[in-house]
Amino acid sequence: MALPVLVVDDSGMSRKLTIRALPKDWDIEISQAADGFEAIEAYHQGKAHMMFLDLTMPGMDGFEVLETLQKEGLDCFVIVVSADVQPEAEIRAKELGAMAFIRKPINTEIVTKILTEFGII
Amino acid sequence: MSIQPYNEDQRDALQEITNIAMGQAGSSLAQLLDVFVILSVPRVRIVGVEDVPDAVAEMVDDPEEVTAVRQAFYNKLRGETMVIFGRKGCADLADLMGHEEVQNSEDEEELLLDVTNILVGAVLNGLGEQIEVEFGFSPPAIMAMNTPIEKVLISDQLGWSHALLIEVNFSLEERGFKCYLIMLMPEESIDMMRQSLDHILESF
Repeated sequence: MALPVLVVDDSGMSRKLTIRALPKDWDIEISQAADGFEAIEAYHQGKAHMMFLDLTMPGMDGFEVLETLQKEGLDCFVIVVSADVQPEAEIRAKELGAMAFIRKPINTEIVTKILTEFGII
Repeated sequence: MSIQPYNEDQRDALQEITNIAMGQAGSSLAQLLDVFVILSVPRVRIVGVEDVPDAVAEMVDDPEEVTAVRQAFYNKLRGETMVIFGRKGCADLADLMGHEEVQNSEDEEELLLDVTNILVGAVLNGLGEQIEVEFGFSPPAIMAMNTPIEKVLISDQLGWSHALLIEVNFSLEERGFKCYLIMLMPEESIDMMRQSLDHILESF
């Protein structure tokens, strides 16, 4: 069965770039969300076994998504994709349960490397 | 002269490349002050030049008395960058740097110039990298100190018909500090930027 992957970013361009950076032969079903609220909703619809998550978004931001997932004990493999390149941003995201942190702009090499490290592909 | 507004894709692309550039600026600020910087979602719009002062005033939460530092940039794209600090922001900065470093108003001015230079440099370099433009920029200069926001910028001074406004802000956790960075570009740069954005959008 295809893995449900959710790409969360307020920028449509950025979502496209992330989707384009995913390995071509990976059996997934991609959904998209433009903010944190949409992301949590999509999770509850079973569309996010894995999430590529932006941090800086209007409404509910990426940190709040991570907090919500953690608080509600939700099971989702989250990779943060962010322009926030402060080391502290990465530390915080990981403390909140993110498994990996990709600095924008994203590329296929880094995604493949992370997915391979975790034995996902 | 009428200006064609950006379409949704162009605005989205500009917002996203600004987001990446401001991330680098925020990181530089975080390093300087040894704090965590909270980034805003960039805002992008094109307005008639007569509406620029209002548009700028609208983004600043505490418009009573601000200090503004300007830095012009030029090359394929040209314009003005303004960094606006509220009164509290100035005091917070001095606090963070330590009072040994900032003892009088001269030190404070120098600190504001330094912070502006760091933010503007990082944002312009970050943007420039993505649209393949190398910017030249002027040294930062104080535009106004402790001045009501509506008096900081008088649209006649720009001598443009329209302006592209790109707005971001940086705030610090557990402190009132917030500063605003605004880029303004005139009509020919609006079109030049449009071409750069189309180029980025065509690449995928």
